[in-house]
Amino acid sequence: MAKRERVMRMSVEQPLWRALTAYRVLTLFYATGLFVAKRDEFVRPEVAAGFYVVLFAWTFATLPKVANAASCSRPFLAADLTVALTGILLTPVADAHDRIVEGGPTLPSIWTAGSVLAFAVKGGWRWAAFASALVGVANVVQRGTLDQDTLHNVLLVWVASIAIGYVVEVARASERTLARALEIEAATRERVRLARDIHDGVLQVLAMVQRRGSAIGGEAAELGRLAGEQEVALRTLVSGGLVPVSRVSEDVTEGAVVRAVDEPDPQDDSAPRDLRPLLAPYATAKVTFSEPGTPVRLAAGAAKELAAAVGAALDNVHRHAGADARAWILVEDEPDEVIVTVRDDGPGIPEGRLARAEGEGRLGVALSIRGRLREIGGTAELISVPGQGTEVELRVPKNVPMDGRQPKAPKGSRGARGKVDRT
Amino acid sequence: MSERQDPIRVMVVDDHPMWRDAVARDLAESGFDVVATAGDGEQAVRRARAAAPDVLVLDLNLPAKPGVQVCKELVGLDPALRVLVLSASGEHADVLEAVKSGATGYLLKSASTEELIDAVRRTAVGDPVFTPGLAGLVLGEYRRLASDPAPATGGEGPRAPQLTDRETEVLRLVAKGLSYKQIAERLVISHRTVQNHVQNTLGKLQLHNRVELVRYAIERGLDDV
Repeated sequence: MAKRERVMRMSVEQPLWRALTAYRVLTLFYATGLFVAKRDEFVRPEVAAGFYVVLFAWTFATLPKVANAASCSRPFLAADLTVALTGILLTPVADAHDRIVEGGPTLPSIWTAGSVLAFAVKGGWRWAAFASALVGVANVVQRGTLDQDTLHNVLLVWVASIAIGYVVEVARASERTLARALEIEAATRERVRLARDIHDGVLQVLAMVQRRGSAIGGEAAELGRLAGEQEVALRTLVSGGLVPVSRVSEDVTEGAVVRAVDEPDPQDDSAPRDLRPLLAPYATAKVTFSEPGTPVRLAAGAAKELAAAVGAALDNVHRHAGADARAWILVEDEPDEVIVTVRDDGPGIPEGRLARAEGEGRLGVALSIRGRLREIGGTAELISVPGQGTEVELRVPKNVPMDGRQPKAPKGSRGARGKVDRT
Repeated sequence: MSERQDPIRVMVVDDHPMWRDAVARDLAESGFDVVATAGDGEQAVRRARAAAPDVLVLDLNLPAKPGVQVCKELVGLDPALRVLVLSASGEHADVLEAVKSGATGYLLKSASTEELIDAVRRTAVGDPVFTPGLAGLVLGEYRRLASDPAPATGGEGPRAPQLTDRETEVLRLVAKGLSYKQIAERLVISHRTVQNHVQNTLGKLQLHNRVELVRYAIERGLDDV
């Protein structure tokens, strides 16, 4: 059994955690540096020094906590924010009042932002708004007044953290979507592979029954014939994926639930659709269907008319060439037109008979085929070579002008004139 | 059929024991020398190298190694080996890929015993065995090659192969189910000429495939290895 394919995860989030780790360490040194440079101006440098010792210990001890979303727990976030807020509130105790009023840095200075960022990366913009609001309040308390400068800084932190939180949420959502899409794709591929194996096995057995049946003869031959018919039907159905199953994904548990759905028939007749699935059902043990192997796109209306014309041509084969006649359908996808040829191996139409039939007005089927083709701007040509059966060649231009112009239409009212090729 | 001095050496590769045995038995009864059989891709490659058959009757849907890969490897080792693809489902992409990498015939498993034996015989002498379905695919492939934009390697890249008008005509008639004899009659050419035209359509496709592979190797710097 093939293992279920692992869905590759491309994390947008992981680099953010790494950046946060680096940010916390760098800003720790920055904050400490600020203190060391101006330690003479502090009224109680021992308080500040004590805080920095704690901050060092805390930052390095909790480095693994900011390695990824899973280890960044709520208690850690709460504790981290507490450390930051304590630092801010200790500033008036440790530092000179003048410096604070002049807008000097708090003890943790920009290290605080790391704590707020952790909230943003972990929980999105709401958590970020909450954490930065607390930091803002602490800043105002520390400063003692709500002046222009403080408000400015508080707002800046608030907006920035919310923005980052929002970006993280979006990144996470798109990551989930991508993972789900990859999983659906893998599941579909696996399903197609399984279906292919199963079908191949069934086809083999059917072909074998047909083979052995016709060798044994009698009743077995009849069984063989039936198996042969089913073999053709199933092969036509599965080969080249002519019958794509429409699927939708349902996002119940954010996993990949894929369900096959019935696709509604396209109502728009001018929308392009693949001609092949319309013709494939005509294939039987006696009718061979050949196509280019890739979708043959035609306006839906034109494709339906063309398929109906092919059906009429095949009916005609059965009527005139007998039930045992074989027939071949060939679809060709030219750059500017689609050509479908229906050929049978009947006796062909004897010389002169076409003209006579036309004169007697007995070209009913040919006329109906030609009429269908004319409606979609195409042409139908009847070619008969004695001893090589009859061919009906249907040509439909790809860009059908809707006024029904016929690029190669037979001239005048003698629309049913057949062309007889002779060797 | 004319008696040959040396019977044609055939190897049958199919994962279905029932099929493998039936095909091998039919071929042996018709005077072919079935030198080996294999049930999966790996086995097929190993045994074909040891048994050196003239014709490989190959199923495409194989365990261990896909039939297309088996065809590529074995034809790569011995370009004289003829490969007749015998497939149940006729997956379009697989069939085209097998033909491009060297198979010269393709037959559905629903073909009769007589058709199979005739196909193996024709494959052995180098005649391509075309079904109408395969002719349709090959026509489609040429049209795709013609309409695809040229590869972006400047002007010196190989041009996409093209069919002559006559080749297209012949291929279309094959796709419409005419026999070579009927085609020869209709176009007033010899049976041999029809065969040559059909062979050329495959040959160009295979050559193009090889040229593309070599170009790919050079682009990736694999030719220095």
